Amino acid sequence: MKLSSREVNGVVVLEPKGNIMGGPDATLLHEKLHEYIKQNKKKIVIDLSKVEWMNSTGLGILISGLSTLRNNGGELKLANVTDKIQSLLAITKLVTVFETFDSIDEAVASFK
Amino acid sequence: MKKPVKKNNQIVVPSNLDYLAEVDKFVEKKLKKTGLTKSQLADIAISVTEAVTNAMLHGNKKNPHKEVTIDVEVKPTEVVITIQDQGNGFDPEKVPNPTEGDLIKVAGRGVFIYKALMDKVEFSIKPHDGTTVKMVKEIKPEKK
Repeated sequence: MKLSSREVNGVVVLEPKGNIMGGPDATLLHEKLHEYIKQNKKKIVIDLSKVEWMNSTGLGILISGLSTLRNNGGELKLANVTDKIQSLLAITKLVTVFETFDSIDEAVASFK
Repeated sequence: MKKPVKKNNQIVVPSNLDYLAEVDKFVEKKLKKTGLTKSQLADIAISVTEAVTNAMLHGNKKNPHKEVTIDVEVKPTEVVITIQDQGNGFDPEKVPNPTEGDLIKVAGRGVFIYKALMDKVEFSIKPHDGTTVKMVKEIKPEKK
């Protein structure tokens, strides 16, 4: 998995590329996410357009980021969720936990 | 990193999550010509990585000297995958339903997910002789 990041209007956008299944890929995403949180960046969007699937380890990383951010007055939102991940969010009822958007622009705009 | 042992339709890896990608690649290669859709292949990939993760972490308790064996059997109408650890008998059925209670738990969804994604899942638990998870995906055109 490759991971790039950028900032759009004060919102951090993380862009993982590849499947998230555990091991080094998952560690990378977890560390990057928490690195931004430590820098007091409280608005984070994860663009999932290039992640075909993830397993429960990937979901756990998203939840860990979301919980930490919410406890500090921030929020983590998801953009461009692929079909398989959407179906996993539905199966696990995490659709009720995450805010999802059809584009990065919409996700970023939702922070205003 | 030690090389995984591959033999026909079997791959054996140490209990280290760094091997997950290798297992995923091996299974993907074995299922290439089965006619399974991209979505069905993703269901299998997710399920295998879940079961192998559990085998490494909960079955073998991350003991690097204990291994996880993955067998892939392609039949005309179904794919059968078995994942076996060398632990003391981890009972996946005892994992609580993650959709009840606190939804924000970081872990505990693996078994629930592969039971939902695969057509059949069976467990065989032998104390002192490990847990075997047998999962089946039927080869059939996906419903639209």
